[in-house]
Amino acid sequence: MTVPSLRAHGIDAPLPAGFEGRIFVRPKTGDEVPYPVAHFATFALPDQVADFGGGAVTLMGPDDIFAVLFEYGPESVGRRLFDRQGMPRSLTTADFRTIVLRRGLGGQSGTQWFFTEAGRPFTLYVVLGSHARRGALVPRVNELIRTIAISPAGATTAPSTASAGAPWN
Amino acid sequence: MVALAIILSMVVLVLAVLVAGLLRSHADILKALHDLGAGVGEPGNPHGHPGPGPAAHPTGVPLTIGPPLPGERNSTSAPAIAGVTPGGDALAVSVTGGDHLTLVAFLSSGCATCAGFWQAFRQPDQLDLPDRTRLVVVTKGPEMEIRAEVAAQAPPGLAVLMSTEAWADYEVPGSPFFVLVDGRSGRRIGEGVAHHFHQVAELVRRADADARDFALGASASRPFAEGLDGPERERANDRELLAAGVLPGDPSLYPSSLDDVYGQGGPRTAPVPATTAEPTTRAG
Repeated sequence: MTVPSLRAHGIDAPLPAGFEGRIFVRPKTGDEVPYPVAHFATFALPDQVADFGGGAVTLMGPDDIFAVLFEYGPESVGRRLFDRQGMPRSLTTADFRTIVLRRGLGGQSGTQWFFTEAGRPFTLYVVLGSHARRGALVPRVNELIRTIAISPAGATTAPSTASAGAPWN
Repeated sequence: MVALAIILSMVVLVLAVLVAGLLRSHADILKALHDLGAGVGEPGNPHGHPGPGPAAHPTGVPLTIGPPLPGERNSTSAPAIAGVTPGGDALAVSVTGGDHLTLVAFLSSGCATCAGFWQAFRQPDQLDLPDRTRLVVVTKGPEMEIRAEVAAQAPPGLAVLMSTEAWADYEVPGSPFFVLVDGRSGRRIGEGVAHHFHQVAELVRRADADARDFALGASASRPFAEGLDGPERERANDRELLAAGVLPGDPSLYPSSLDDVYGQGGPRTAPVPATTAEPTTRAG
């Protein structure tokens, strides 16, 4: 089956079956310098979703997953918070806690990791629709994060999509 | 005088040969079309008039449009749609899973008919779609469309993707074209063209009602539920019709109005001009 792949702003994310996503940079407002944000979800993402899932996590069902890859400015590189090198590629059920939520919603749990990859500082934030079903959901999260590739700043590719489908596609 | 008569006779003879050749050529063309399954009226009607008639031998060659689909797909498959937004971001929409319908509108920035749809999408509260319906607009990719023109047409708050690949995946013959996907079954449950959005909305409501009927279980169609397609689906449907006592030529197979299909007071809620809003199916 064809695997859709999202590629924009130096982030390349093949999407496992059932996931949809968006990689974007918000319009610049005032003195703020926006950086890329990637949203991934197993449910229909609304058009307007806050960076860390506001407007989306309330729509999650118990079998749903929502993940955010959020980039910070280059001034964050070298700070202790971003000491970890490389995005975690395999999470465990123990990594998810009901108190690690930007917005505490009953039954949900989350995990958040700060790291630097390819010289770019990021945070990965993942929400599970049901902490009780984390045993089934965490492998799907790992399927998603395992193949996400981040390019160095300045080497970002033009936004595009790719597919591993049949030639006629 | 004799010479003139001989010349005229020769001319008549030559013309007769030409007419015979043309008739023979025409017969060959008709035979070839018949072998392909195309013809006038019902295949089983020797007089070529539409309407009930005796069953004929099956036409074995389905008419297909476009390139053959990959082996793992058929004409009801609903692959994820991935593309870029007019603003240059990447966007992928999964149309399967969940309990919602996804209406995919394949539009162009320049086609005159599409302009009405772009305009209609600016007032989403007046689209009159069922509550659980998600609307996604797909244009061809940036290599075939101008981003700025699509951006100018794209209504705020609506998912608009640019993806030529999606047009191929969904075998879109041209714009405007609409595909309705049922997330629960993960399959296309309707597709077709229309001139006005209220026609599309009506088709969506009918498809939604049909999907709910199938979901009830008791009246579920086995071919629908099993995702059969092409000749297998036709054979399975034939078996179910025969089991229900509906034989070839049964008048119920030839409805003359929507009331014949749904009965008085059925799910139809507004007149639908069938000539401008025609769901289509494909074999292949």
